[in-house]
Formats: sequence, structure tokens, C-alpha cells
Amino acid sequence: MLDVHNLQSGYGDLKVVWDVSLSVRPGEITVLLGRNGAGKTTTLRAIMGLNRVMGGSVSFEGAALDKVATHDRVVKGISYVQEGKRIFRELSVEQNLLLGGFSRGKKKRELLAELQEIYSLFAILDEKQHLPAASLSGGQQQMLAIGQALMAKPKLLILDEPSQGLAPVIVKEVLDQIHNLKSTGIGILLVEQDVRDSVAIADQVSVIEMGRTALSGAAKDVTYEQIQDAYFGKAA
Amino acid sequence: MTIVLTGLASGAVYALVAIGYNIVFLSQKTFNFAQASLMMLGTFVAYVGVAVYGLPWWLVTIIAGILIGAVAALQEFVGIRFVSEHFNLLVTTLGASIIMEGVAQLIWGGEPRPVPFVLGNDVLDFLGGRVYPVEIVLVIVAVLLVVALTQYAKRSMTGIALLGMSEDSEAAQLRGVNVKRFAFAAFVFTGVLAGLMGTLIGPKTYAVATLGVALAIKGFVVLAIGGFGSMWGILVGGAVVGLTESLSARWIGGDFANLSVFFILIIILMVKPTGLFARVRERTV
Amino acid sequence: MASLWLKVRAIPGWVWPLLFAVILIVIPFVGAPYPIVRQIELTIMLALIVSGVNLSFGYAGELALGQVAMYAAGAYTAGLVSKAGQTDLLIQLGAGALAALAVGFISGVPGLRLGGWSLAMSSFFLILLVPDVLSLFKEQTGGRNGMSGIQQATLFGNPIDSETYYVVILVVALLWFAVMRNLIVSRYGTALKVMKRSPVLASSIGISVYQTKLSAYAIGAIPAGLAGVLFANLDRFLSPEAFAFSFAMTVLASSILGGPASIYGAIVGAFILQFGMNQSTTFQEWGLVFTGLFLLVGGVAFGGGLSGFARSLVRRADKAARAQLGHEPPVVEAGAIEKRDGSVLEAKNVSKAFGGNQALSDVSVVAKPGQVTAIIGPNGSGKTTLLNVVSGFYRTDSGTIAIDGEEVQGLAADKVARAGVSRTFQTPYVPAKLTVHEAVEAGRYGRDRSTLLSAILRLPSYWRISKADRVEADRSLALVGLNDARDEMADSLPLGNRRLLEVARSLVGSPKVLLLDEVASGLDEDEIEILADLILKLRDAGLTVVLVEHNFRLVLRLADVIYVLAEGKVMAHGNPDEIENNPRVMEEYLGVTPEDDSQKKGR
Repeated sequence: MLDVHNLQSGYGDLKVVWDVSLSVRPGEITVLLGRNGAGKTTTLRAIMGLNRVMGGSVSFEGAALDKVATHDRVVKGISYVQEGKRIFRELSVEQNLLLGGFSRGKKKRELLAELQEIYSLFAILDEKQHLPAASLSGGQQQMLAIGQALMAKPKLLILDEPSQGLAPVIVKEVLDQIHNLKSTGIGILLVEQDVRDSVAIADQVSVIEMGRTALSGAAKDVTYEQIQDAYFGKAA
Repeated sequence: MTIVLTGLASGAVYALVAIGYNIVFLSQKTFNFAQASLMMLGTFVAYVGVAVYGLPWWLVTIIAGILIGAVAALQEFVGIRFVSEHFNLLVTTLGASIIMEGVAQLIWGGEPRPVPFVLGNDVLDFLGGRVYPVEIVLVIVAVLLVVALTQYAKRSMTGIALLGMSEDSEAAQLRGVNVKRFAFAAFVFTGVLAGLMGTLIGPKTYAVATLGVALAIKGFVVLAIGGFGSMWGILVGGAVVGLTESLSARWIGGDFANLSVFFILIIILMVKPTGLFARVRERTV
Repeated sequence: MASLWLKVRAIPGWVWPLLFAVILIVIPFVGAPYPIVRQIELTIMLALIVSGVNLSFGYAGELALGQVAMYAAGAYTAGLVSKAGQTDLLIQLGAGALAALAVGFISGVPGLRLGGWSLAMSSFFLILLVPDVLSLFKEQTGGRNGMSGIQQATLFGNPIDSETYYVVILVVALLWFAVMRNLIVSRYGTALKVMKRSPVLASSIGISVYQTKLSAYAIGAIPAGLAGVLFANLDRFLSPEAFAFSFAMTVLASSILGGPASIYGAIVGAFILQFGMNQSTTFQEWGLVFTGLFLLVGGVAFGGGLSGFARSLVRRADKAARAQLGHEPPVVEAGAIEKRDGSVLEAKNVSKAFGGNQALSDVSVVAKPGQVTAIIGPNGSGKTTLLNVVSGFYRTDSGTIAIDGEEVQGLAADKVARAGVSRTFQTPYVPAKLTVHEAVEAGRYGRDRSTLLSAILRLPSYWRISKADRVEADRSLALVGLNDARDEMADSLPLGNRRLLEVARSLVGSPKVLLLDEVASGLDEDEIEILADLILKLRDAGLTVVLVEHNFRLVLRLADVIYVLAEGKVMAHGNPDEIENNPRVMEEYLGVTPEDDSQKKGR
């Protein structure tokens, strides 16, 4: 579904990503790992069109994305949950979720009905429907961010460190939910810091080191040692 | 009492300018100095339509809305879309404003032109003071407009998109919002609004080419008091500015009207630069 | 052709404007009609005001059109002084300049704290208030009817006739532009250019942003005041209409057209607007529209205005001529790096929180001279915060930071810079309109303070410091290997070289502590090699080098001591071997605990 080949990207003329390749298939979870500053978020932003692509290609469902504007990529079916719980803090929980469904072009009435599905996944959001998002705790905001992305009924869901700053118990819950989404046929690209838990639910593993893909393969074929080596640049 | 009512009516005009500023500011963090000049052009369309051609006021209002909306679209395209730094935006919106003033001066000269008001031009007795009908309507319209806009923003999908966009434009794009088109639409909308208000403002201020600058600056003071981004704050700000102006003119002296407003501006900017009602956002470094 | 061009270019830049001034002075004496002479007088006065705007807008970067109010202050002061019996022009010029300066300070001190739209709008309001203020003091100023009865100006006791007055106006303008030129072509001008690009960069070099902005704004008041005095004595009648908002727009348009960040652009812009506007009556009617158009087009397209355009043409010609004649840049011997005395940097129990987020908790770090001390850690670990706290961009909540025992926490960034701490930034801030050499020279600002007066008057101390700046910059450039690029525009360099430029700039002030903020990020392997070599050389010369980095391999290679930060605390420190094999460091980065690791091996 998503194919990234030899991607080069960065900010201004600062190149951070030098050669990254990865792919995500429908119904599968691809986990993208690496130290901070390795280029994971830069890669995701390039996929969404927020950063300039300086080389290589990004294609979705067979079609190249380079001329497609960010908001149109969302309409095409890619939903991106940025790191750092970037929801709209001044809007209410309900408004946030509705805005999540904006890309589908539906009327507010129809979207309101769909909110129930999100509330069944994350019950706490139902309680706080009309409160401003800023009043939620970190974990709740993360759930809101994911719920927001799900409202777009995406074909590809990209999650950037959804467990950041969350208590381990909540992290488990969040990763479980993500794992459950596989059955709906969504493709998931997951960037995480916690290697152990994320590789456990992954189908494909990819490690970026200093802007290059250092290791890539099926999760069942990759050992922790290999991942560790890749993390610190000791490529096999 | 008359002074109070007149002051509130002036305040309403300034508030209408500030509302226009606010919409553009919320949608693209830009301050359009020419907003008041657009309104000035609106008053001239009203003058031409009502006083010169004698057309029915609702028709003139609609025509004004369309015409000034088009002018706004032109301004956006020429003077805002391709402008890189924020600095230069101040210069280009200033330039646009001066061009509009110059054009108005060329066509109609410097003399103020009276614009008749649809509901009558004779002074009424109201709440113990003497006012013109247009002044009462101005205050009502300003309040209604704020109510309508805030409700629309909160409830409609477009409104929510705009609010989201103003908080975090990138996050809004990631939810599928075409930020550029929205910003353009919001800009043109302020132009339409400015045109529609022509038949209402004209009777109060007269159609005169130099209207733009004075309104622009006083409108800014309203925004400074009420807070960038806060619609209700604008009503408060408008009342403060309008009343300060009329009260000081009456009780201290005509020359002090502007000085008093300036004084208030400086105090607010020193004490609470983001305005009384601005939503304080937590700084993350 | 090329050699002729270079010979012409070798003539000092100020000769051309001087020549122009001489030509202007001669004009009425060769029979030019009075209307032209008068237009020139008005143009020169306009140019003076525009010049003031250029200083505060073009160079210091703040749009505040208070110059019109200062112009009015100068004019009315001259009028009042004259009516009071004092007709000597020099005294009036002095009084007018002082009055303008006063307006400048009063509006500048609060105004500059605001910046942006607020400052601009407040200054517009100020202009609107001029008629009201004049009306308040109706008795003295004549209010809206204007002030008449200004006496003819005198100089040393003799009345000035209109021919002589023309020359006087030109001489005053000449002197002002000489002052402005001496200011801009000096460290002060460089400081303004650096500040415009980035106040953060400016502070890190030792420039106090607020003071510099205020001084530019205040100094920019003087020519406006002078122009006012000259105006008052020209027609001997003042009306508030001359100080209207439309005039302010003419001033701004002249500035934009001629190029806001230029010395002589003011004259060009003023000429175009004054002569253009007054030619035909139809032009006069269209005056506002044209002014607006100049502003609109200028804001969209022009950037540097006509002078900027001319400058880029000249630069291109220079480059072509040099290339044709095969000019080589002067060869500078890098030589061995001389010994540098680094200082001990000690941060003790430093804590810093932002709102609810504890970015640093009780962090203690020691960096010694002759060592590379590296600070690593995941995002959010506090590395950047630590760097910002040390260099003075953030205040500590608690804890101390000392350089050789002297505490510097709580000092503003520019003061910390002057205490000997030099730093680079993750995204190199490269000022526009400076050559590579000038950009590096700027780093010496915090050393050797030279006063504005010595720059204006070109005193010996100015030349001495200028020379030292040049020599040190030469050395620094040679050290990083950028000597060949010295005459290129700094912002035309590719990223790798910009990083080297930053390092060169941070070295030129002979710092005691060097903070390098992710200086290797975005560089390719070759560039990293050059950088690594340089860092080792600096270490061996005795400097205290602090390296904040993501590049693990590089850090292991270069560092003598490594501190690992995580969640705002120091979680480990030691030499590279110790850190590389520290299981907790692995865990922090991978979320893998050593027990899990052995369990899951061979999965």
C-alpha cells in the first residue's frame, strides 16, 4: 500500500534523511525504529508532504505522491498521528473528533453518529465530550489523537510515538488497540521508542540510523541483537 | 446619555473593523491594514447606489458585498499570497489601503458624501438621549454579528475547521483541511462583510476617502483591548474606545478625543499586550 | 574592460556620493530655474527623513514611522526658537535634533518592547495625533491654522539668503549621510545586520538587542529633526497638513523604493517620489495611488529596493571581472593553532522547568580545558535546554553555572557571550548582506568594545579595532578552510560550509568555552571528517569544547568525557568506553532491559 524508496528529505537544505526505504501492506503493522535524531519523524513528515522530498520516491496504492498536497493525501486515505499529542487543545473533545472526520467531506450530522464508534474504543472520551481538550491528561489526549485519526476512516494509519509520556499500563492498552485495528484491513506504520513491545505486535521491522535504513525485514526473522547493533551503527 | 449612545455607535463601527481584522488574523495570522479601506469603499458604493441612483437599500447592500468581496480577492492575490515575510505584509496592506484611498479621492474627491439611512435620517428620542436610527442599528448589528460568528465557528464543520486552523495550521492540514483555500475564503468573506456594512456605516461616518486610516487605527485599538482572536472582547473593546472618544470630547475637549484613546492603547499594550480576553496559550519551548 | 572596472571599484565608495553632492551644490549657480532648485531642496529634506526610517526599519528591522512626529518636533521647535528671537540656524539645528531625539526616546523605550504590528500601529497613531497636540498648544503653535512669523534664519549673525540656504541644506545633508555611512560601514552596521537576521544570534555574539535597536531608533530621529528645522526656515510657515499620514506614506514608499537597508537609497527613493509626484498635475492627483502602488509592489517584489538591485549588479560585475583576470584570494597561512586558554565550565545542580515540564533536574556537568566534553541523550532529555541555560538564553530555576569559578547563571545571553562563552546553533543563522569574511568578523563584537562616536569620527581606536577584527577573521577562516570563500555572500554557502562558518565565527572572539550544538547534523561523511579534525585541533590547543550531538559514532571518537542525559537528569557519565558498554544507556535508547535482552536472544 505504501512504498518508500531511497527517500531523501530534510528541512530547508538540511538533509536529515539520506536513504530510507520501507513499505506497509494492508492489514499489516510495520514498525519503524531508531534513536532520536535518526530521521524517523522526518521520514513520516516527508510521507505526508510536510517536508520537502529531495530524492527517492513515496507512493501510495501505486500512485506517486510527490505532486499531491498534504491535505489531499489525507483525503486519499492516509492519516497521521503526530508525536507529542498534537490535538487542538482549545477545541472540545467532540470538536476535535469531528475535525478528524473533516477529510471525508461528510455533514456534521453523519459524523456525530460515528462518534459512538470512537467512544466505544476510548470510553473516557465519551465522558469528557464537551470539555476542552487541554483539560485531558496526557494519556487521554493521546487517545483523542488516535481517535481523531480513526474518524478519517483511513486506509493507512501512521502513528509517531503514540506511547511517549504515557504510563506503561496505558501504553499496553494503546498498543493493544493498535494491534486490534489490523483486522479492519488498515495498514499501520508505527514509530516507537520502546523496542520490545512494538516489535511484539509488528509484521515488518525497519531500523533507521543516521538517516539511512540500517536493518529491514519481517519481524519474525529479526533478533533483538540485530536491532541493537543497527541502533548504534554497528551494522552487520 | 446622548454622548453615551453616540459613543457606543462609534464603538460599534470600530468593532466591525476589528471583526474583519480578527477573521483574517485567525485564518492566516495576518493583519490586513486595508480592512477599513475596504469598508470605506463600501460606503462609497452605498453612496452611489442609494444617494445617486436611488436604488433600494437591500440591492445596494448586496451589490456592495459582491464588489468589495471582489476587491478583497484582488488584494489577496496581488498583495498577500506571494508575500514572503511578515514585515512586508504590513507594507503591502498599507499600500493597498493607500491605493484604495487614492482611487476614492480621484473618483469622488475629498468632500464627505452623505449616505441616507433606510430607516430614516431624523434624530429620535431614545432612552433619554437623542440618537439617529442608524446608530441604534449599528450597535445591534455589531452584537448580532459577533453572536452569529461565534456560534457558526463553534457549530459548523467549516467553523470548527477555521478554529482548528487558527490554533495549529499544520495539524489542520493533517486532518484534510485545505488551509490555503480556507484562508482565501476567509479573506474574501471579510471583504464581502465590509461591503455589506457599507449601507450601515456610511450613514454614520459619511462616505469620505480618508475614512480608512482613522478607522484602521481605532479598529486596531479595539483589537488590542479586546484581544487578538476574541470576538466578544471586540465588543468590549469597541465600547471602551467609542465611549472614551465621545466622553473625553465632551468633558475634556475635542482635541483630547484621540489623545485619550491613544493613552488607553499605550496602557493596554504595556500592561497586557495580548489584550484583555486573548486566550493565553501555554508556551512550550 | 575587466581591469578598468576593478580599478574603478578600487576607488573608495564614498567618493561617488560626494561627487553627486558637489554636482547638486553647483546646480543653481549654473542657471537652473528656481522650481527645480526648490524640488531639490524638498527632496533632500525628504531624503533625510527617509534616512532615519532606513536606520530603524531597514537596518534595525522595526517598522515605526515616528519619524514624521520627529520631523514635526524639529520643525515646530525651530519655529518657536526663531519666534522667540533666536534665529541662528546652528542653534536651531541643535534644538531641533534634541527635540526629535526626545520624541525618539519617549516613543522608542516603550514602543520597542512591543515590536511588530503593535509598534507600527502605535506610531501611526502618533502621526494622527500631531494636529491634535498642535491644536492643544494653539497659542504657541498656531494650531490647525499653522504657525507663521518665523524669522529669517541667520548664520553667525548674517541672514541667509535663499541661494546660500540651498547650499546650507545640502551641507547639512552631506554631513548627516557621512555620519550614517560611517556608522553603517563599521561594527555597528554589522551588528545591525546580524540582529536583523536573528536576535538570538546577535545576543550570542555579545550584542544587546534592545540597546542596539533603541540606539538605531533614536539616532534615526536626528535627521528627521534636522529636516524639520530646515523645512521651518525654508518657507517660514508651518502647517499641520505637512505632517499628515499621507506624508508618512510618501516617506515609507521612498524608503522601500530606494531600498530600506541602504545608506544612499534614501536619496534615490526621495528623488523619485518628490520629482515624480510633482511633475504634472495629473500625477499630483494620482499621488496617493502611486505611493500606494510603490508600497504594494515594493513589499511584494522589491526586497532590497533599487539600491539592492544595483548592488547585486555590481557584485556580479565584480565576480565576472575577477574571474576574467584570474584573481586569487589572498593566501593566509593557517599556521599552527596558537595556544588557547580554555576555562573550566561548571554547571552544578541546575534545574529548569517550563510550566509543568521539568526539563532539567539537578544536572551537574563539568567541562575542562583541553578536553572534549560530549552531552548526549534522546530528544526531550534536556540537552538543548542545558545548552540554552549555559549560554544565557534561559534562566535557571536553581543551581549555578560558573566559568573559572565566576558565576554566570542569570546573566543575559549577550553578557554570557562577553564572559567568553561562544556557541553555534543547530540551524546556522547566517546574516544576509554580509560576506563570509564580514560574517566571521562579527563574532568579535563582544571583544574590544568600540564606541559609536569613534566609528562616526573614524578615530584611531576605530581603525585599530577594525584591523584586529580583520586579522582574526582571516585566521579563523584559514583554520576552518573557508579562506577561498571569503568574499562570497554568507547566505549563498551550502549547509556544510555554513556550519564551518559558524564555527569560524564562534572562534574569532577567542572564547574560553566553545559550545557546539549538533554541529555535525546534516553533514556528509567528508564534511564530518573536516569538522572532527578541527574539533580535535581545538582541543589540543587547550580550548574547552562542549559537544551536544546525536551522532553516536562521532561522539565516541572525539569525546574525552561523555554525559548521558535522560528526562532531564544525568543518568551516566564517563569516558567513551564506559558509556559504550553501559547497559543502562542501551536501555534508555531501546527500551530493552538487559534481562529481556538475554531471554529473547536467538528468538
